[in-house]
Formats: sequence, C-alpha cells, structure tokens
Amino acid sequence: MKQAPMLSSAFLHPAGQTLPEPLLALRKQRASLLVDMPLPTRKTENWKYSSKYLKLTDEMAISLPAEGKAGNSLAVSGYKVVFRNGILIPEASDYPDMDGITIQSFSDLSNEEADVLALQLGSTLDHDQAQFARLNGARFDDGLLVRLDADAVLDQPLFIIHETAADTSGSAFPRIFVEAGANSRITLVEEYTSSGDAPAFVNTVTEFTLADGANVTSIRLNMEGESVQHIGATGVVQNHSSRFESHCVGFGGPLRRHDLQVRLVGEEAETKLNGVVVTQGKQHYDNHTSIDHVAANCNSEETYRNIAADQSHAIFNGRIHIHQDAQKSFADMNNKNLLLNNGAEIDTKPELEIYADDVKCAHGATIGQLDEESIFYLLSRGIGRRDANVLLTMAFINELVSQIPLEVVRDTAQIRLNEFFEQTFQEI
Amino acid sequence: MATTDNEVKELIKREYEHGFVTEIESDTFEPGLNEDVIRRLSEIKQEPEFMLEWRLKAYRRWLDMEEPEWAHVDFPKVDYNDISYYSAPKKKEDMPQSLDEVDPELLRTYEKLGIPLHERAKLAGVAVDAVFDSVSVATTFKEPLEKAGVIFCPISEAVHKHPELIKKYLGSVVPAGDNYFAALNSAVFSDGSFVYIPKGVRCPMELSTYFRINAANTGQFERTLIVAEEGSYVSYLEGCTAPMRDENQLHAAVVEIVVLDDAQVKYSTVQNWYPGDEHGKGGIYNFVTKRAACIGKNSKVSWTQVETGSAITWKYPSCVLRGENSVGEFYSVALTHNHQQADTGTKMIHLGKNTRSTIISKGISAGRSSNAYRGLVKFGPAADGARNFTQCDSLLIGDRCGAHTFPYIESKNKSAIVEHEATTSKVSDEQMFLCRQRGIDPEQAVSMIVNGFCKEVFKELPMEFAVEAGKLLEVSLEGSVG
Repeated sequence: MKQAPMLSSAFLHPAGQTLPEPLLALRKQRASLLVDMPLPTRKTENWKYSSKYLKLTDEMAISLPAEGKAGNSLAVSGYKVVFRNGILIPEASDYPDMDGITIQSFSDLSNEEADVLALQLGSTLDHDQAQFARLNGARFDDGLLVRLDADAVLDQPLFIIHETAADTSGSAFPRIFVEAGANSRITLVEEYTSSGDAPAFVNTVTEFTLADGANVTSIRLNMEGESVQHIGATGVVQNHSSRFESHCVGFGGPLRRHDLQVRLVGEEAETKLNGVVVTQGKQHYDNHTSIDHVAANCNSEETYRNIAADQSHAIFNGRIHIHQDAQKSFADMNNKNLLLNNGAEIDTKPELEIYADDVKCAHGATIGQLDEESIFYLLSRGIGRRDANVLLTMAFINELVSQIPLEVVRDTAQIRLNEFFEQTFQEI
Repeated sequence: MATTDNEVKELIKREYEHGFVTEIESDTFEPGLNEDVIRRLSEIKQEPEFMLEWRLKAYRRWLDMEEPEWAHVDFPKVDYNDISYYSAPKKKEDMPQSLDEVDPELLRTYEKLGIPLHERAKLAGVAVDAVFDSVSVATTFKEPLEKAGVIFCPISEAVHKHPELIKKYLGSVVPAGDNYFAALNSAVFSDGSFVYIPKGVRCPMELSTYFRINAANTGQFERTLIVAEEGSYVSYLEGCTAPMRDENQLHAAVVEIVVLDDAQVKYSTVQNWYPGDEHGKGGIYNFVTKRAACIGKNSKVSWTQVETGSAITWKYPSCVLRGENSVGEFYSVALTHNHQQADTGTKMIHLGKNTRSTIISKGISAGRSSNAYRGLVKFGPAADGARNFTQCDSLLIGDRCGAHTFPYIESKNKSAIVEHEATTSKVSDEQMFLCRQRGIDPEQAVSMIVNGFCKEVFKELPMEFAVEAGKLLEVSLEGSVG
C-alpha cells in the first residue's frame, strides 16, 4: 500500500489574530486535528473523480493579505458585505443595523458572543464527507455572523461578495454562519470572484441553522478565475416547518468543489436545491450534495444540470438518506447532463439510502447530447446551426436559471453563460 | 492476533514435518493458507505445472491486497487462516442417514417448493446411493452434447483434457489480481465448470450445474469458465431454487465468460444459500466475481439472477462490451429478509461502437435486512453511439429494513446516451386493501404484489426457473407481514 499524501504542515498555521479569544482557541483545537490529515486520492470515495485536480503547494498555504482589488460582477441591489481574501472589509460593506437582526464580523464579537458561536461553528456539517471544512475550521481569519431573532425579516437580500485578490500565491478561508430564528426570513447571495493570476486556494464554509418556520433562500455564484482552486462546503440544519431554497450557479476552474449538506431534523421541513454547472477548456467542477431526512414528513426536491464542453470534467454526486422512522418522506432528485465534446467527461452518482418504508423516493440521471431532431426542427425554420445549438443548450439550463428569484443574479449569470456559449459554439 | 497467527503457522508446519502427503486421499486440510497448502491442493488435483504457477502467482498477489470495505455490508472479519482449503468428499457415515435426521424446517421448505422426493434427499445431503440415476442423466446429457462438439465438464478435468483452452482463457476476463476475492479464488479454487461452445454451434440444451454430476462437491471456491466461439449460443443455469445445505461459510466464486463474434451467452442464476436464522446468526458469505467479455462484434451476454439466499451477498455480474454492436443485459431480483445483507449490481463497460446495455434491477427488502444496488455504467471515448438504460426499483416491506442505490455513471463520449432511473416504494395499503377485499390473505397478497414487481426479470428466466423463482420468493418472504 502506497502511503497517501498528507496535507502539508505549512497549511496548519493561521495568520490573523484579530479574532476573539474563544474563536482563536477553537481554531487551535481544530488545527490539532489536522496534523497528518491525508489528502484525498483516487481511492477516496467522495474525491474519486476530483483528487487529480487538487494541487496544493506550500506557497499557497499562507493567508493572502486583505488588500488588493478584485472587481465583482454583480450589481448589488441590497445590503452588501465584502470579504477580501477571507477578511471582512467594513469600509466596502454596507449593511443595516436593525432590531432583531445581527450582522457582524467575527472579529467584532465580544468574548461571550464568540463563546456561543464557537459551540455552533461546524455543527451543521459532516466533516467526514466535507473533509476540507476541517481545514477552514483551523484557518479562518475572519467571518460573518448573521443572527435573525424570531419573526425577523431582512427586507432586502444580503449580498456577500468574496473577492480573492491573487497577486501572489496564497489562500483565503472565509466563513459564514447564519442563524435564522423562528419564522424569520432572509435571502442571502454569495458571490465568489477573483483577480490576479497567481495560483490561489479558496476554502469556504457557510452554515445555516433554521429554527421552526424559518425561510432561507441561498444563492451561490461561483465566478472565480482560472488560477483559483475552490473548495467550499455549505451545511444546513432545518427544524420544523422551515424552508430552505438553494440556487447554485457554477463556472468551472482548475478545481471547483462544493459540498452541500442539508439535514431535515424537524418535521414538515422542506428543501429545494437547484444547481447549474458549465465547464469548458480543461476546467473541472464537482458538486456533492446530501440530504438527510432525519424527521418524518419532510420534502426535498433537487435538480442539477451540468454542461461539459471541450476537455472539461463535470461531476455530480447527490445523496438522499432517509433515516429510520422518517416516514412519509418525499424525495426527488434529478440530474441531467449534456456532454458537448468527445474528450469532455461527465460522472454522476445519484445515491439513495433508505431505512424507512413509507416513503416516496425517486432519482433520475441522464447523460446525452443535444437532440438531433430538435436541431433539425430549428434548422427547418431558418435558424442557423450555431444558434440552434445555443438555443437548445440555453433551454437545457434555463429552466433552473429562471427560477433564481433575483433578477440581478439571473442577469449576471446570463452574461457569463452567453460568454460560455460564444466560446463553445464558435467553430460551428 | 499475532499469536494465533503464529500458532496456526506452527500447526501447519508441524503437520508438514510429519508428512501429510499420505493422508491426503481421505482428509480435510488443516485450516490455514500458505504456499504449501496451494502446492498440496494442486498436487491432489494432479494439476499440470502451469496451473500451480498460476495459483501461486495469484496467491502472492492476494497477500499484497487489502480486503475491500466499500460495500454497504457489515460483518465480522473473516479469518482466512481459519478456513480449510481442501476437503475430500464426505464419507457416507458422516452424513445424515435418512431424511428423518434432517432439519424439519428444511424439509418443510422443500415441500413448499414442490421439490420431488428423491431430490430432497440429495439436496439435504443425505447419504443415499444413486439419489437419482446419475448414469442415465450422464448419458442423456452427454451424448447430444458430444455430438454437437460442446465441452461441458468440471474445470479440473478441463485442465487435463484441454490445457490449451484453459491456458488461453482462464483469467483472461477476471485476471488473478482483479480483486481480493478473485485473487483468493484463483489461488485456491476447488472446482467448477468449463463450457466450450465451438464455432456456429447452438448448444442443444440448457446447461445446468444442478444436474452436472459431482456438482455437489465443487466446494466453496467455485470457478466457472464459459467460452462461446463465433456464432454460437448457450444458455447456462447456475444454482437451484432449493436451499442447499452447506458447511462452508465463505464462498468466493469466479465466473468468466468469453463471447466472440456473433455469439450469445445467457447466464441465469438462482442463488439460495443458507441465509442465517432470523436473528442473523450463521449464513453464507457470498463474495462473487462474475464478468463477461464481449470481445466479438455483435456478441451478446445476458445475466439474469435471482438472489434470495446468503447472509452477505457481494456480487456484480459485469459486461465488458468491447466488440462493435455488442449487447449486455442484466436482470436482477435480490430479496433480503431478516438480517441478510446484499450489495449487488452490475458493471457495463462500453468500449466499442454502438454497444448497448440494459439494466433492470429489483431489490426487495424485508425484516431487518439491507439491500443495495451498486452499479457502474461507463462509456469510453471510442464508444460512439453507445446506449444504456438503467432502472432500479426497490420495494420495502417493513420499517426496519434498508434499500439503497449507488449508481456510478461515467461518460467520455458525446454521442453516448445513458438514462438512469430509480424508485423506492412499499407495498401500498391500497394494493393490500384491494387484495384483502377479494378474499386473498395478506401473505398471499404480498407475494402476488412482489411477483408482479419482479415480472420484468422473471420473464427473462428459462421457463421452469421462472416458476420456481416465483415460489421461492413466496417462501423467502414468509413471516414478513403481519
């Protein structure tokens, strides 16, 4: 047996010391667990298809400084929080001070508040499945805490812009924790962008806890550049009658990985996960989702679409786990993939793990190409082949893009998608 | 652990000093596995040198391998040094002398399955002379086969009679180092069947291990090799519906099928090894590697399996579709009850152009069992126009069982199309109500519904197998309702 490669010890030294004492202590404790952490290999089941894209060098281990400028492409139409290289930048941010709603940088927390948070951080995630969330736990330099009291409603969406300014090699470890109180409501948009072309590593964790009746919409746009390796994890815990909706739009890169874990622990909770991924060139994107139906009477609905062009590689792994006694669960997962070129690769694994009998669960997955007959139909109506291709490809994902509840996000995604179509279908 | 290991080694060594060779005719090997054991085994079977070499090579590979742990099953570790790797045919005195000595539970099952009386005794391992007239079976079978040029014999015999075929094909589909259990099997396989269908021959009858003379003693490491030459056809049946009494806990079989141009092989299995009692005690571990290589153009392989037995099943009959237009099919019904665990499915590896495959898998879990479908559908870059359709349905009976689906789908070809769907459901109250209302008792109703659920697979089975399989499900599901 060949020894699995280990995470270099260079990654074990966090930089920022501005955090309150309890969080520093937490970070230290988490770092101690990382010593000799094996890096995923082909044999690591949940990294089977992606381990070869993971290229961490010691130069990338240092935290990037909170400076430099990265432009975001999103025209913000609401409250805004800006992270630069994992550090919250108050000057660039603009968020309200409202009754019942706390929006605060981790660094600004009092020791008492940080004590409470330290117990919550990481509680929504299964770290054995999202191994790199551990690394974030040991390295986060700053973070954003959003607490909504019972019945609080954030009147406008909260945009969190993560800018990675990679003028030199390094990494960023942004962290977000959202606690939505009973019957509270929030829409949160996370956008990941980058500038500079030094190899950088972005390792994110976003967590949501939803109390009874809370309603959270989370939108995640991954638009980082070609020098950024991104490994992110999102953990969600839902209580009684809560509703979580997620829209992820991802553009490929040298390594893109997102783990989305939802646990339905209260009855009648509902979750809806949508995702769109497009990859081209030699890009990669790997979405791993898991939905745990722990309580009875919960609904989950999941739809992911991947498009892979050129020599790119798109991966989807969706897992639905119905626990014992989670009767009357309803779970539906659907994954469709479009493989545009020979040389591209799509791997999908829709898993069901079911321990209760009175449930309705189904999953479907397809991989294919554009339907020749549909193309012919369009050609016969005088539409050129290229346009026909673009039209049909667009239709393939538009079903999901059109469901994103914010126009500004839809528009931003659309611009990038159009670029993708331009490049992908130019030669025809 | 280290001490026991040493002790075992010591024991084996000691016996060697005393010259075990004289004893081999009549005895069972001491538990334990090392190169000497393999040499001894090969010697008893009077195998040619190349077989011994092959076994030793496999054994050395095996030593370097680790037991796989990825399957969705949970069982105490097997101590491979606690197993005897050779056991001579049992003496009559040691067997039950009449049906009266056999577990009445087993007899009750035979009755329900409608097994003829004279066969019951054989199945239960009763020492009766000529349970059914083996001589007549031999002649009625062997003559037409010989006339057609079909070779159907124990693999140990084929090693002597047809070494060139064995050399060419043994391990060509499942290499000795393919996986942990295949390597173990390659090192110590006891016996099995060899089938060779010459060019253009349609095998005049369905070949069955059940009727093959001496099939009863193939032992726990069975090895089957089927070679279908150009344009030939064979339908092969393995196992039988009646529960077999067996003392070996670990079964690691290997089945290899080679299919050349325009040839077709249909392989049907009914597996009903002892599943353990209702508390999950005992039962067979069934770790099987089955693979078919469709090397030729327009070749076709069809796997059909009904799996109701064994405490642990770990089995993935696969097709490597290399030849252009080759076709792979997999039809499976896997039923688990009480504490049984099954992790079964298939692999369809599409390498050639226009290759097609169909997967229909029906999993039924009852009691406290766990039933997983695990499958791989893979399209290589050259598999232009390849297609796959997969359907896995699970049926849950009771709220303490598990049904799982782990499908891996990998595509590297833009013109390949794969469709996968899976559903999970239970026997619905409405269905039950409808049946009850018409005066059908609950147990029968469940069996009817389950049979309907499995119909797509049963229709692929040879006729007499299909009838038995239906009954078998009924018996296996006993006590799962109410």
